[in-house]
Amino acid sequence: MSMPEDFLGRIGYLLSEYGPSFLTGAGKTMLIAIVGTLIGCLIGFAVGIIQTIPVGKEDHIGKRVLLGIIKLILNIYVEVFRGTPMMAQAMFIYFGASAVFGFNMSIWFAAFFIVSINTGAYMAETVRGGILSIDPGQTEGAKAIGMTHVQTMINVILPQALRNIMPQIGNNLIINIKDTCVLSVIGVVELFYTTKGVAGALYTYFEAFTIAMVIYFVLTFTCSRILRAWENKLDGPDNYDLATTDTLAHTSGMYSYTAPRKEEE
Amino acid sequence: MSQENILEIRHLSKAFGKHVVLRDIDFTVKPGNVTCIIGASGSGKSTLLRCINLLETPTSGEVLYHGVNIADRKVNAASYRSRVGMVFQNFNLFNNMTVLNNCMVGQIKVLKKDKETARKNAMAYLEKVGMAPYINAKPRQLSGGQKQRVAIARALAMEPEMLLFDEPTSALDPQMVGEVLTVMRTLAQEGLTMIIVTHEMAFARDVSSHVVFMANGVIEEEGEPEQIFGAPENQLTREFLSRFIQG
Ligand SMILES: Nc1ncnc2c1ncn2[C@@H]1O[C@H](COP(=O)(O)OP(=O)(O)OP(=O)(O)O)[C@@H](O)[C@H]1O
Ligand SMILES: [Mg+2]
Repeated sequence: MSMPEDFLGRIGYLLSEYGPSFLTGAGKTMLIAIVGTLIGCLIGFAVGIIQTIPVGKEDHIGKRVLLGIIKLILNIYVEVFRGTPMMAQAMFIYFGASAVFGFNMSIWFAAFFIVSINTGAYMAETVRGGILSIDPGQTEGAKAIGMTHVQTMINVILPQALRNIMPQIGNNLIINIKDTCVLSVIGVVELFYTTKGVAGALYTYFEAFTIAMVIYFVLTFTCSRILRAWENKLDGPDNYDLATTDTLAHTSGMYSYTAPRKEEE
Repeated sequence: MSQENILEIRHLSKAFGKHVVLRDIDFTVKPGNVTCIIGASGSGKSTLLRCINLLETPTSGEVLYHGVNIADRKVNAASYRSRVGMVFQNFNLFNNMTVLNNCMVGQIKVLKKDKETARKNAMAYLEKVGMAPYINAKPRQLSGGQKQRVAIARALAMEPEMLLFDEPTSALDPQMVGEVLTVMRTLAQEGLTMIIVTHEMAFARDVSSHVVFMANGVIEEEGEPEQIFGAPENQLTREFLSRFIQG
């Protein structure tokens, strides 16, 4: 089959010849983006949590010094990885590690590592902000019933912070889906690399990248919808059921006051 | 020894930087006592309560709980707080949990009760404050008075020996104040030891066994409610109360 003359025909041709390559490329893009975002979130949470550990004058001097050093190192990590392009980091880490330390990492390891460490740096700031944005009253309420700092974080603060930063996590995933294309510089055969190969071989840049654009958009759009649905699920229903079978029963129990509103806001 | 003091505060002082907020506070709380702390805004009432619950660290002095100084660094603050509850002006209900879970989480995580026991216990106290029908609601779906009643149930579910209230009705609309005060009256009648910071003078007069009047970080006068409200000796107490009686 030879190359058709018209645009749509060419697209059809590319799809029939290279469809599986495009799909494999898209699959790799998604795999790197999702794994990188997940690990990045874990790193971000760890760093963000450490950065918000309260230290006061009453704490032991050793603890204060140790925490100070750890926080400093984490700050450097965050600033360096936020402040340099991921493409440069990819070259630096992948080729640098083998040239300087003789450490030849596999290309997959490099891909996951670079995206994770990058996302981690961004998420650390987001998580820190998310934690600080929770009303201090929540912490006091938890302390007042005897929860320790760790219990307070796990049961009260982090679930609320996580909910608040969900849109940011989604944002990061979408950015990662798009930005994995910079990994082509170290030879990761993801969607962009695949497309470039197809386009160059047949000199069909317009058609090949049309296909790539559509795939990228479908991937990001689907992810953003799924995340939005998940957010709504986390919020729970707007209404609640009164836990009584008699709907006319007086709901306030022991005293009378005007009828309770069923919902607010 | 039922007359042993639950709480004994000795020479308690608290400063934020150079700003001295509490000066040489002394008072005691006996089991079953309802102590109301009254005084002008900024006189240090909240700070005193927060020092008692270790939400603030006293600068000097002692807070003896059954004779043990809990201001001492070696004391486990979390386990002490699980025995002394606190109800806040702004409720501080956990926004990520339903009403029922708000009342269960402390029992499960702190007191290590099993889920079923915790649930039964939480239901009993929610029933008591009239919030049992609302167990599935989230705090944002409740009115202020309802939130505060849940907050009281949450504190009670820990079965504390003493409960601290910091202006529990100040953030409420007038018609909701009554529902919260009714709950607190019931608790007082049942003999729960309470320390209540309040601007509700009629309530303080009716319910308290002991009244503490504070001004500018010191206790100016304390005594039985009949004496404080009926025949205050201190000039500052008289001025403070006359403003309330006029208003
Ligand atoms: N964290 C803090 N840092 C510095 N100053 C504080 C802090 N908390 C309270 N203060 C100061 O301590 C003083 C007493 O405050 P406190 O909240 O105890 O008063 P209060 O008697 O509870 O007043 P109100 O009736 O308005 O609640 C005030 O002058 C306040 O500005
Ligand atoms: Mg106050």
